[in-house]
Amino acid sequence: MLDVHSHRQEIQKMTDVDLIDLKMSARNVQVHYGDTHAIKDVDIDIEAKCVTAFIGPSGCGKSTFLRCLNRMNDTIDICRVTGDILLDDENIYDKRVDPVQLRAKVGMVFQKPNPFPKSIYDNIAYGPRIHGLARNKAELDDIVEKSLRRGAIWNEVKDRLHAPGTGLSGGQQQRLCIARAIATQPEVLLMDEPCSALDPIATAQVEELIDELRQEYSVVIVTHSMQQAARVSQKTAFFHLGNLVEFGETSKIFTNPEDPRTESYITGRIG
Amino acid sequence: MTELKNHIVKAFDRELEGIQAQIMKMGGLVEASIMQAATSLETRDVELAEKVRAGDKLVDALEESLNEEAAQVIALRAPTATDLRIVLSVMRMSANLERIGDLSKNIAKRTSVLVQMPAVGDTATSLRRMAREVELMLKDALDAYIQRDEALALDVIQRDHDVDQMHNTQFRELLTYMLEDPQNITACMHLHFIAKNIERMGDHVTSIAEQVVFMATGSKPDEDRPKGDQTATDLGPLLQEHED
Repeated sequence: MLDVHSHRQEIQKMTDVDLIDLKMSARNVQVHYGDTHAIKDVDIDIEAKCVTAFIGPSGCGKSTFLRCLNRMNDTIDICRVTGDILLDDENIYDKRVDPVQLRAKVGMVFQKPNPFPKSIYDNIAYGPRIHGLARNKAELDDIVEKSLRRGAIWNEVKDRLHAPGTGLSGGQQQRLCIARAIATQPEVLLMDEPCSALDPIATAQVEELIDELRQEYSVVIVTHSMQQAARVSQKTAFFHLGNLVEFGETSKIFTNPEDPRTESYITGRIG
Repeated sequence: MTELKNHIVKAFDRELEGIQAQIMKMGGLVEASIMQAATSLETRDVELAEKVRAGDKLVDALEESLNEEAAQVIALRAPTATDLRIVLSVMRMSANLERIGDLSKNIAKRTSVLVQMPAVGDTATSLRRMAREVELMLKDALDAYIQRDEALALDVIQRDHDVDQMHNTQFRELLTYMLEDPQNITACMHLHFIAKNIERMGDHVTSIAEQVVFMATGSKPDEDRPKGDQTATDLGPLLQEHED
């Protein structure tokens, strides 16, 4: 009897939403690419001010699922997403939601740095301009500086804001893209393997930046580097063959995972 | 526990097997040293005692090379989950085994002194039995390690209670011998330290068994095992008589 009681209390604790500040939650999410069932019934909660890492072998669906979180999959004709994905309490797949507005709130950084072929200044100013976030030049200047500072690249570019963004090094370009993503004041930042094209020093700088961004944003990062997931995230989700196999505290996943498939993957065994 | 498959990188498997083979070798040597030390005491065999003292060098060397290799695996392979637990438990176990080796060596040293004095009752035989108990515990703990056998490891942890009780009895007995004849005191003090050494060995074996549980399950066993050593609060027969 006592055991059942304490078990109940435990469950109550776990499901007590007040304890955790949820930013996004997904329920029964399915993704089909034509006949391929790419994401199978995924439920997950993304906490506010927390870095969540998605790991898994190639083709496991982690990037596909990430792209569901700001409706990037809408751009792929044969892709069909079902289920509920809530940002705060709003279903992002609701017809009334404008995907462009959504993507300002849920920003994205890609694997390869992709600055616009414009000046560093205009790379950052582009989003705030189209979303009407600045009333005048002074405000826009302010947004550009703040974003570049948060992107930890201000000191390196402040003297050449009108030089082309494409002239920066790979690591700088990626931090510029992160600064660009946060210029529209998003609430969630999605990162799809943001360091896979960077050298270890630039990677460390981006990782440090991710840790700083956590003060204000929810960050969801897809990474092939398990060590990176271990270093930067508080929560880790392991995807395998379209299933969310295990989701929990990063420290738990990397020291004592529950599922043998997670264990096989993170320890580098054939699984 | 389900058997895990091999690593994709085969060298990683070889390294993990390497450190585990070393800890087993170290375990075997330490197991032997416990029994040899206790036998040398019982049979008053100075040569065997000398062998135990010399043999400890090898145990120390093994501990050092094990720690180096474990550090390399951590630095170069960044082990996680079971792999990490193997490396961590092996490092902790090697420290425990090294300490047991030192305690055996200390018994052997005291034996070299004790053979120059008359025997005190059949204490040496009782101590050899106590050592035998600890040696069996160590053997089972090492078997539990190889077989990832949590139940056997937990059994070893429970059995430390018996060793503690044997130590309590021994303590009382030695006090009585010393009260009977102060001439016995020097020998009895040495015998007492030997008993204490064996009791400490039991604690180290318990710690090894705890590492086996940690490695197999990912969590340490509950801290509710019986603590049996009462010598710290024992007043001794003389004081108790006065109390009556």
